[in-house]
Amino acid sequence: MSAEADVVRRPSGPDSEPTPRKRVRLNEQLRTTGQVGVMIAPTTLWLFFLLVLPLIMMTLLSFRSGSFTAEDSAFTLSNYQRFLQDASFQRLMLRSLWVALLVALYSVVLAYPLAYYLAFRAKRRQNLLLTLLIIPAWTSFLLRVLAWRIILGSDGMLNSLLLLLGLTQETLPILLYSPTAVIVTLVYIWIPFAALPIYVNLQRIDLGLLEGAADLGATPIQAFMRITLPLSMPGIIAALLFVFIPTVGEYVTPALVGGPSGQLIGNIIWDQFARALNWPMGSVLSLMMLVLVLLPLLLTSRLVRLSGLLEG
Amino acid sequence: MKKLSPTAYLFPIVMVAAVLTGCSAGAGDATGATEPLLVLEWTGYQMTEFPQFFQPFTDKYGDNLDQVIEYSFFGDDAEALTKMQTGFEADLVHPCNSWWQLYVNAGLLQPIDTSRLEYWDGIPDELKQLGQFNGEQYIVPWDWGYDSLLVRADLVPEMPDSWADLWDPQYARHIAIWDSAEQGYVITALALGLDPWNTTPEEDEMIKQKLLDLKPNVLTYWLDFTEVYNLSSSGDAWIVANAWQDAYGYLLDEGYDVEYLDPAEGRLSWVCGYGINANSTNLDLAYEFLNAAIAPESMAALGNEYLYGFSNFDAIPLVDENVAKLLNFTDLDTFFANTVFYQPLTEEKRQAMSDIWTEVKAAQ
Repeated sequence: MSAEADVVRRPSGPDSEPTPRKRVRLNEQLRTTGQVGVMIAPTTLWLFFLLVLPLIMMTLLSFRSGSFTAEDSAFTLSNYQRFLQDASFQRLMLRSLWVALLVALYSVVLAYPLAYYLAFRAKRRQNLLLTLLIIPAWTSFLLRVLAWRIILGSDGMLNSLLLLLGLTQETLPILLYSPTAVIVTLVYIWIPFAALPIYVNLQRIDLGLLEGAADLGATPIQAFMRITLPLSMPGIIAALLFVFIPTVGEYVTPALVGGPSGQLIGNIIWDQFARALNWPMGSVLSLMMLVLVLLPLLLTSRLVRLSGLLEG
Repeated sequence: MKKLSPTAYLFPIVMVAAVLTGCSAGAGDATGATEPLLVLEWTGYQMTEFPQFFQPFTDKYGDNLDQVIEYSFFGDDAEALTKMQTGFEADLVHPCNSWWQLYVNAGLLQPIDTSRLEYWDGIPDELKQLGQFNGEQYIVPWDWGYDSLLVRADLVPEMPDSWADLWDPQYARHIAIWDSAEQGYVITALALGLDPWNTTPEEDEMIKQKLLDLKPNVLTYWLDFTEVYNLSSSGDAWIVANAWQDAYGYLLDEGYDVEYLDPAEGRLSWVCGYGINANSTNLDLAYEFLNAAIAPESMAALGNEYLYGFSNFDAIPLVDENVAKLLNFTDLDTFFANTVFYQPLTEEKRQAMSDIWTEVKAAQ
């Protein structure tokens, strides 16, 4: 939407054409809108049937008293009441938000130097390094999570290495099965995803600006702090969101390495749907989570225009 | 109650799709035996791949199996019940005993005419009774297995000898328990000396507190068979609670120093069996299937290959000596005296267990 609006607005620049030309462009604009409509139709249908419709169904479900039978369909607010009264749900939700926030921050902090190197220093090796960065993502997500069990387990690689180097005398208490293990694993998994938007953003920075800063006597650190970092802000925000949003709902990683105190809201939502067969409660939890995730999204989209990232 | 396959994770997605399409797949019309038999089954039992578990049936239909039988698979009991509840018309379904009453109460099954089952008398009354509701037989018990404590004897400072020993601080952070509301609840009730299937609200509160007290000892929750194997073999978990006898058998074969306990409160045992859909008209084939399943040679194959218990005790002489010993089949009196069979649950009981488990998992 905003991209189309931009095209219409753009002619107001210094080289804008007289009126007749403008009308032609508008016609073109209309024609392409039609073509775009055809092109995005499958996506729209897809989103409607697999996102909007399920969301509506879930909202309806959340007011039911049970999952299956006719008498279960009576309207009730009791699921919402239970959510508000049960401290364990709220605690779990806060834990999920906190873990997701930490994972997002760590991923971005670790991904930034990577993206910076790729954009400014890698030069001819850029493509090679980019491929190397993406290659791990070709392996199954599950496999990469399980790999951390091999690394962090009590007869795992980390413990063996420490023993070999004589840094410890006996095996360390197990590092796995804790919130920390969840964070470590997820940060590892998300780093490439966090690096890409930052990299794309950095690449678009006009090197002339940095040269100019150097000519005017700025130290590299000053130039970075006052030019590169502010200009890469949209990339950073996008990376934070790319990591934060899927992490809030994660349930595979906590189930595999989270242990007794590292379970997240996603695990309980899955439990409610798949095993407790309490679909209404699962729906309430999912909807509450959605609201909690949408809030920061709306806030940041006010701060940064995300679409700015995707334009040339 | 059994191996949780990765497809279980896809379940919510599949459900949405199923609801969207109104899901009426496999609804057989009344043409009787010309229709293939649709079986809602755990993975790992399809006769197309494991003909030995249903020998008379597979011998008879041999090369035409594909025309007489069709399968749909599930990863856990909740998934199977959901599927049946939302209108999936399988002729036969293979749930485990905690779930049987839920099927019967929801009107999903028809009573079984046991006179049509040639091998019915081989099944002991104790197992038959589990499948009886409102004076009718609704389930043919087929396979069963133990839930007990699997212990790495070389790692524990001291051998536990009861479910209550799980709370002993010397095992701190070295116990893996099943991520299952029912199993967590039942072992805690047993440890407290309560009857798990007959509790008061106060006792439920006690069970919840006791489960919360177990958390410092818990290393992790396990979800499927391979996890039991890995947790025990890696030494991460000294004790795996509610492990099955097959995991013990395999670890023993690999040379690990493991023990499979007879806890003071008794070993738990799950029993699974087949029920016939209330709307099924494909009864001739269904009974043929059931009869083949409980035929002694089929049951012996199940015991020998999966190390699972089987319901037809006439098959006991046909299994390997080690398997019989593993299953405690060598002394049937103590077998029934020391085994606590899971009991059918009502919907209220199941929800109460789930709510307790949710709170325990959510706790710090």
